[in-house]
Amino acid sequence: MQSILSLLVKYNHWFLFVLLEGISIVLMFSFNSYQGAAFFTSANGIAGNIYSFMADVDGYFGLKDENEALVEYNRRLTGELLALKDEISAIKDSTAIAGNAFVQRNKEVFSFATAKVVNNSLNRVNNYITIDKGSADGITSEMGVFNEQGVVGIIYQTSDNFSIVMPLLNSKSMISCRVEGSNSFCTLKWDGGELQYSYLIDLPRYALFEPGDTVITSGFSSIFPAGLPIGEIQNLEDSDDGMFYRAKVKLFVDFASVDNVTVIGSSTKEEQEQLEKSIDREK
Amino acid sequence: MTQGTLINIRNFVLIALAQVLIFSRIHLFGYVTAYIYLIFILKLPRHTSVNALMLWGFLFGITVDIFCDTPGMNAAAATAMAFARNLFLSTFTHKGLPDDFIPGANSIKWGSYIVYSLMCITLFYTLLFLLELFTVSHITPLLISISGSTLLTMFFVIVTECFSFRR
Repeated sequence: MQSILSLLVKYNHWFLFVLLEGISIVLMFSFNSYQGAAFFTSANGIAGNIYSFMADVDGYFGLKDENEALVEYNRRLTGELLALKDEISAIKDSTAIAGNAFVQRNKEVFSFATAKVVNNSLNRVNNYITIDKGSADGITSEMGVFNEQGVVGIIYQTSDNFSIVMPLLNSKSMISCRVEGSNSFCTLKWDGGELQYSYLIDLPRYALFEPGDTVITSGFSSIFPAGLPIGEIQNLEDSDDGMFYRAKVKLFVDFASVDNVTVIGSSTKEEQEQLEKSIDREK
Repeated sequence: MTQGTLINIRNFVLIALAQVLIFSRIHLFGYVTAYIYLIFILKLPRHTSVNALMLWGFLFGITVDIFCDTPGMNAAAATAMAFARNLFLSTFTHKGLPDDFIPGANSIKWGSYIVYSLMCITLFYTLLFLLELFTVSHITPLLISISGSTLLTMFFVIVTECFSFRR
């Protein structure tokens, strides 16, 4: 007994070493699996508040650019709005009932919240963005995040007042999308390389694409509505197994300077997921 | 609580803030990031116990992790570096030195201090980037990240040392 005790005392630093490394490794692996892990990230209160203070300070330096971007976005939206109004009135003239139903339904489905980016990493394989809205503002995980340039990512974890976004620049992120002007859909996945480029995988070989085509969200996942811009195809190559094409996509969003983002929630998402799950169970 | 501990706590807060608000945001060429908080661990006195070294390393690591969303990675690497620090340092201690001293160019000369820092920092970055790339098998970017970040951090180690060096 005496010798065991003296052994413990003599090698106590080994035990502390194993204990501390153990805690670190548990943290490393638990981050991905449970909600409480948000405490050990920049979504926790202290870190989040220090970051939002800093973001407030350096937000002033970007006001001019931000303003110009918003004016440009506004101009584009106004254009689209007018075009849509035209289109709707044209439809209404011919089919009055269907036209009304279409407009009303779209109004109810999506809810929006705007948030400010308080922290943003770019240099890792799995990058994350912290924003200053959390579950207290009605944000839950798996909501979509975009800004005026295009799709930013998906909400990953939330605390009361902050949320962590998994941006497109994260090797775990998968976005269902399609190429504008075609109906075949595919998946966008980042491989940890350059910050401006991501890859479309599983592009069917029979589909015809050209460099310069725009990639948009498919709307299948119920996270994003269909038609949000993602990027532009740069070139096509064969996938590793030769069954599909793989396309390099230049992303529209400049991740180094994302500042204000919009979080989009869908009220029909749960309904859709439940329906899809019930089919899985039957299998 | 001794005065030394209070000074250490003050330095901890200042260095941690500088690290997360300035240095962690600088990514050269997309690969290289300097973790200047390692200097704090390098400069703790020779006779600091391994337990105290590891606790400082863990505390710094977990703080940086919380701010940078890398739970556990910095903590694991910094704890391991702190664990090995006295071992590396003992290679460079010789009879002429006082019993307890602060590692640096004043006490163990420039050459020894640089080699000692290089050993510690290389160990830290090797562990850090291995943990980060756990699932990915890109060897070249891994080596670029390790060597680039080690060199950049060594640059800051030498710059800080110049301020405290007396001829």
